[in-house]
Amino acid sequence: MLIAAVVVYPAVALSRASLSRYSITGLRQGSVGAANYARLLEQEALPTVVANTVLWVAAIVLVTVVVSLGLAQLLNEDFPGRRLVRWALIVPWAASVIVTSKLFVWIYDYYFGLLNHALLSLRLVAAPVDWLGNDATVMPAMIAVGIYVSLPFTTYVLLAGLSAIPGEVYEAARVDGASAWRAYRSVTLPLLRPALLVAVVLNVIYIFNSFPIVWTLNDRNPGFAHDTMITYMYKIAFKSSLRDIGLAAALGVVNVLVILLAVVLYLRTTSWREAEA
Amino acid sequence: MTRALTALAALGAGATLLLGACDRGAERSGGGKSITVVIAEYSKDHTKPFWQGLSEQYTKQGGVKVDLRIIDWNSIDQQVSTMIQSNQPPDVLNLNSFSSYAKDQLLYPADDVLSPKTRDDFIGAFARGGEYQGKLYGFPILSSARAFFYNKDLFARAGLAGPPKTWDEFAQAARKVQALGGGVIGYALPLGPEEAQAEWAIWMWNNGGDWKSGDAWAINSDKNVQTLRFLADLANRHRVTQINPGKTNRTDGAFQLFKDGKVGMVMGFSPLAAQLDTEKKVSYGVAEMPTALGQAVTLGVEDYLMAFKKPGNQDAVKRFLDLYYQPENIIRWITAEGFLPVTKSGLQPMSSNAKLKPYLDALPNARLAPTTDPAWDRVKLDVQQNIGLAVQPGGDPKQVLDQLQKNAVAAAGSR
Repeated sequence: MLIAAVVVYPAVALSRASLSRYSITGLRQGSVGAANYARLLEQEALPTVVANTVLWVAAIVLVTVVVSLGLAQLLNEDFPGRRLVRWALIVPWAASVIVTSKLFVWIYDYYFGLLNHALLSLRLVAAPVDWLGNDATVMPAMIAVGIYVSLPFTTYVLLAGLSAIPGEVYEAARVDGASAWRAYRSVTLPLLRPALLVAVVLNVIYIFNSFPIVWTLNDRNPGFAHDTMITYMYKIAFKSSLRDIGLAAALGVVNVLVILLAVVLYLRTTSWREAEA
Repeated sequence: MTRALTALAALGAGATLLLGACDRGAERSGGGKSITVVIAEYSKDHTKPFWQGLSEQYTKQGGVKVDLRIIDWNSIDQQVSTMIQSNQPPDVLNLNSFSSYAKDQLLYPADDVLSPKTRDDFIGAFARGGEYQGKLYGFPILSSARAFFYNKDLFARAGLAGPPKTWDEFAQAARKVQALGGGVIGYALPLGPEEAQAEWAIWMWNNGGDWKSGDAWAINSDKNVQTLRFLADLANRHRVTQINPGKTNRTDGAFQLFKDGKVGMVMGFSPLAAQLDTEKKVSYGVAEMPTALGQAVTLGVEDYLMAFKKPGNQDAVKRFLDLYYQPENIIRWITAEGFLPVTKSGLQPMSSNAKLKPYLDALPNARLAPTTDPAWDRVKLDVQQNIGLAVQPGGDPKQVLDQLQKNAVAAAGSR
């Protein structure tokens, strides 16, 4: 029942919408078959948006996982104040993503922003940078925020994985004369594999579907040059001259299929079943 | 575990689906015992209290309950669209556009839901601004007008006697203020997506251009190309604007800089004045727009109330509208929000308010956006999303306007 309500109903509603024609007011004006899908492929912005999405997801997930591995390792060691650090790490996670995004808008601001202020005082840049206005820096700036909000969850998943590894296997490795790095590569990483897979899959889904960061940090920029497939879908429906629910729904269906396909492919190539064994 | 993961993936996919399908709020039917009233949030302090009070008064009079929803401007288009998609439109809606709804035959004309007394009280220009194919569907709810703000301290430091009246004087003033150095900016030009169409319209009109020529769109007229080149030159040749004006929004961009005392000039309106008065950081003056014509033109903005046709709701809606348009109600609200009147009976009492004087003075020379044309709802979004590209380094004003014109003509021909 719950699955029917949460998954099936929206799926049916979305598919139906994607096959319909809508007036700008939202009034349904009949069925158009697959015409919305054909028009979607004609959109000039689509290749840019797809490329943005790939970069957005790949960069965030990759950097997040690598950094989280280090953080999890650190937090797994015993040191004074560990509890405090563990708590501190939760903060970016606990804060609403919209609030965090707004905060970063001010940090990145050309005139008032902390980042430019800091970089200028450290003489790392000669002149302030318009992080969110410069076409070269918008995407990296957004990706940095994406990493920031993804780190806590990922670190905790990996930390749980680490603490599940029994101490004896390390003792065995030490007896066999393995260096610390060797032990990490041959013992920790393979045993951490299930946790890593979970972290990657959940992050891919979460980042792909993430709306507030791109929406908030990119709201000043005209056109679709820095949109992902999710914000593009919203703009098609409500903020561009298209204002077309049917076309947006078609992109919505494509988005769902893309994310399902990506996850399945990923699980296949990492041979999920073997990892379980 | 594999199964668990698949389920998780499906759940993630479900989240995407939900976003696409939008949230379908629970709604009550229009006829009979309750009406749904959707109002845009003009301010946190005044909008909700006023409409809540009005709703209670209304329920006391006729026993009909009001399902009141105050929705912020960022999401109102989406939420209204969702209501209509799910075949549950509101009974009364407040928005900045109306003609697409009239075109889709969703609305009552004024004859059906306004008493003659109410209708005759509307100021002529605003009543005409609510007409679709000769009938009044968009009932004016309030109006506002833009004015030219300048920083008196920066003007004094730059040796400028008063606000510029012509474009030449304006460019001169911008250069002198910018030359003060220390991060001071001559003119804050917001052509980012938030409100670019408003900023653009004011410059366009003050050079003798317009959105349309007769009934046809004329966005890429020679005059308009000249105007947009003038703005691009301010940014890229004279460098008297803030950085990336095509990527600066109004509220958190241009206004913020002006409120911080960094900017010589900006186009503002009464809510900006109210914020400046509260913060007391900037000594500012309000003047007419600089113009290349003999008489300065400003932008007037009219928002609307609409009544949706639903079986059995006509009487209830009519009584609600008549209650709002009683002079003591409409005047009380418009005054609280700091906007301008739309009724003749509202002009008299409000003209004694000194703070509103510059805007009321500008009102006779204010022009409205072509909201009576359903194509405008698309053209506006197109201008918001694209005109900023013209003033970026390397941008091509003519090419941007040509594309906007092409899209406008297509929108006019579409359903």
